[in-house]
Amino acid sequence: MHKLLAVIRREFLTRVRTRTFVIGTFLGPVLIGGLMLLPAYFAGRQAGNRVLVILDEGSNGFADRVAQTLLLMGEGQFETSVVAAEGRDSVVLDSLIAITDPKAERVAGIDGILVIPANATTRDSIRYLGDNVSSLSEMRSIRNAVTQVIRAERLAQAGVDARVVAEANRPISFTTEKVTNGTLTGESGEASFALAYSMSFILYLALLLYGVQIVSAVIEEKSTRINEVLISSLKPFQLLLGKILGVGSAGLLQLGIWTGTAMVLTTYRTEVAGLLGIPAQTVVGLQLPTVSPALMIVLLLFFFLGFFLYASAYGAVGAMCNSVQESQQAAMPITMLIVVSFISVFSLLNDPNGTLARVMSLIPFSAPLVVPVRYSLSPLPPLELLAAIVCTILGVLAVAWVAGRIYRVGILMHGKKAKLGEVIRWVREG
Amino acid sequence: MSDSVIQLNHVTKRFSGHTAVKDLSLSVPRGEVFGLLGPNGAGKTTTIRMIMNIIRPDEGQVTLFGGAGTGRELSDRIGFLPEERGLYPKMKVAAMLAFLGEIKGLAHRDAMARGRRWLERLGLGAWMEKRVEDLSKGMQQKVQFIGTLMHDPELVILDEPFSGLDPVNSQAMKDVVVEFARGGKTVLFSTHIMEQAERMCDHIVIIARGEKVVDGKLADIKAESGRGHLAMSFSNNRQAATPVLQDRRLIAHVDDYGAAAEAELASGADPGEVLRALVQAGVGLSRFEIVEPSLQSIFIAKVGPGAATAPAQETVHA
Repeated sequence: MHKLLAVIRREFLTRVRTRTFVIGTFLGPVLIGGLMLLPAYFAGRQAGNRVLVILDEGSNGFADRVAQTLLLMGEGQFETSVVAAEGRDSVVLDSLIAITDPKAERVAGIDGILVIPANATTRDSIRYLGDNVSSLSEMRSIRNAVTQVIRAERLAQAGVDARVVAEANRPISFTTEKVTNGTLTGESGEASFALAYSMSFILYLALLLYGVQIVSAVIEEKSTRINEVLISSLKPFQLLLGKILGVGSAGLLQLGIWTGTAMVLTTYRTEVAGLLGIPAQTVVGLQLPTVSPALMIVLLLFFFLGFFLYASAYGAVGAMCNSVQESQQAAMPITMLIVVSFISVFSLLNDPNGTLARVMSLIPFSAPLVVPVRYSLSPLPPLELLAAIVCTILGVLAVAWVAGRIYRVGILMHGKKAKLGEVIRWVREG
Repeated sequence: MSDSVIQLNHVTKRFSGHTAVKDLSLSVPRGEVFGLLGPNGAGKTTTIRMIMNIIRPDEGQVTLFGGAGTGRELSDRIGFLPEERGLYPKMKVAAMLAFLGEIKGLAHRDAMARGRRWLERLGLGAWMEKRVEDLSKGMQQKVQFIGTLMHDPELVILDEPFSGLDPVNSQAMKDVVVEFARGGKTVLFSTHIMEQAERMCDHIVIIARGEKVVDGKLADIKAESGRGHLAMSFSNNRQAATPVLQDRRLIAHVDDYGAAAEAELASGADPGEVLRALVQAGVGLSRFEIVEPSLQSIFIAKVGPGAATAPAQETVHA
């Protein structure tokens, strides 16, 4: 135990003190902050800046109503002015297009032109010209405003009372609440799924980032030839376990710092945005979900099982190889297993209790990524959950056993790469 | 049994192509300096690895401390310097030693203090906080040496401890080993350099092609094969000595070093006869002595010149 701790501590300190670790740990929060604040920053800069000209081609006040609705719905995002075409449609349009050119003298500083024709209510489409046509949210706002006005106008023409129209147009928002095993948990379904999914993503990331570090840690031991000293004092399994736990805890620290900053940034996003001079309401927020203890246990359990399973496999790969280049090829099958398992999570979203989902929950290699997401969508029957846990634990033990045997022989190999047949013999003969 | 620290009983180890160690039995008495000698590829390292339980013998048993456990289980009582030296290049020297001490069962603080004392003693005090990779090869060897001995083991196993060391460092290490032995510890070391073994060992085993050819106390071995060995040094007219040394009626075997020679008398020959022949031939002698044979000459006589060519490179298998 004491020796195991020494291996863990050495591995942990060595990793944590590297420049890559320090830079990576620092860059993570910067990246997270950037992802949250940058869109808001750009959106914030543009808010209230969109100057639209509504070209009225004789619509009898219809254009004015569109302008009002846009002002109302856009929450100050749009400034509008209505220009009457007075029969010279194309000439006015051309001159308007000309002044949207930023290089031209920007008399009005126009961003876009909405063309409302005389027979707008009977048309199937309305023209919009502007340099912001690729902004999905702006286009949605403009389309919604135009649709709303046209719908009201069409209904009015059909003789429907204006108050009825207003009432019919009142928007509906949609809230979801989750029911678990016959009781209302009060969780938002989306939130717990988002959490499980992001945990699954973090596990995926951790496996790819830190799993590879285990490979190189094992190879380092071979290339520095320290392995013989180690292997004469420590059990190979002790050494492998120490490596996995050491690299794992360094990874956990880094992930913890990242998650922690993400949570702090989310909680105080308005304050942070304020400091940077960005309108607070535009900041993309992550809803911090309230998670049931059961889901949390499932998440953590499968997180650690998954890490241990893949880390052992990576350790065995390291023991088989003599150089990092060699190991990249040898690690491919394991990396593929992780990627395939992770991608398969998407296909489970629509049918979390289907046959595919059930089967993947019982395969130790995919269960750590699949089960938490499934559980968050709809809790598994207890028996099925138990089966998944047992299968995964058995899988971890089997992989660790095989890896330990490969490791014990492989770590003393120098010079040549082990052939598959040899590796199988190591495992058989132990 | 209790006086035998290491006991090998008919141990055999085969690798894919060849037999590395064949039916080897030996016993290392407590408190002695034991030399495991042999040419390159004779099976020395394989034998040591089996003692340390890094690899398992195909046949036979290895018993340590009268059967207390395997090499790894008893590693806290054993200091082991493997043939393949290695340290973590990025670690600081003091931390590296602390780690090596800890995996031998020392507490972190104790390991740190011991490492510091040893570094001071071997003149590396100023390098404690330097990275291992910044040290010269000789200094790294010293650090590794400290790592082997710092937990004060009862048994020290050194595989080719002096290879790659300059005379000064070699001397320093030798002093440490001798001091250990004097303190009642058991030392087993392998080497193919006979002069060192000759000066340090109480007991030697010579193996060649995986088989034991000599086993015994150094003094006994010398006495046994030491009937009539001559040591000569020449001052002038060296070439005149050649016909005398090649006379098979007088000399059975000669190790010719040019300015000096070591010769084994032919059976029944008289040393006085050789001296007379040399003087008559007009050879200038600065030394003519009847001696015990050197370990080198015993080694060559026992192993034969053929054994110097090593078999295929050793590789490790389960």
